Amino acid sequence: MNLLAYAYTHPFIQPLPAWDAWPWLAVPLCLAISIVYKSVKCQSMKQVPHEAAGIFLWIIFGMAAAAAFLAGVVKIIERFS
Amino acid sequence: MPEPKTHTPPAPLVALVGWLLPGFGYWLLGQRARALTICITVLSLFTLGCLIGGVRIVEAPSGGATFISSIAEKPWFVPQALAGPITIAAAFASHELQQNSQLKFITPHARIAEIPTLYTAVAGMLNLLAIIDASYRAGQREEAK
Repeated sequence: MNLLAYAYTHPFIQPLPAWDAWPWLAVPLCLAISIVYKSVKCQSMKQVPHEAAGIFLWIIFGMAAAAAFLAGVVKIIERFS
Repeated sequence: MPEPKTHTPPAPLVALVGWLLPGFGYWLLGQRARALTICITVLSLFTLGCLIGGVRIVEAPSGGATFISSIAEKPWFVPQALAGPITIAAAFASHELQQNSQLKFITPHARIAEIPTLYTAVAGMLNLLAIIDASYRAGQREEAK
């Protein structure tokens, strides 16, 4: 398929043209996991927004740190191989 | 003074309702804010997955020689199915698209297939978490009576 000619006209049938933005697709996934996990875990629902925001940031920063570490390992292996 | 009688639904009913409408096992226990939060989140995640990759990411097993072989054919359908009847509707729509002569060639590939598959599977797994928790809470209430 010619990507330049890709016309997004059929939502839910065609894939969303998000080829260049795929790392950002982790954000809604992490947000949903944080909200549901804390909704199940917290005794009071009033605690959920604060607790979910905290765990969401931990997940995002954890994934970013893991990505940076792995990118560094790849660079080092590239340099010495 | 006698305590007012509170009706506690049985745990299997809570689990069934939680599967039919994600999070609504909590609704039966009177925890409406929790029910609505989980319902909106799980259904949004599933819908977003179908929007990103197209509904073709949900594919039901076509029926192998044995139950195990048909599950092994489409293993992602198992966690997806935990999201409730929305998965059956999506699988039906996906099957219809496969039969359509014009639209059957539109399929997601690589990351745009993998990430939304993960979205829908995670939606199902989160609903399983909610089903287990709501059923456990219903069981605890029954024991406390």
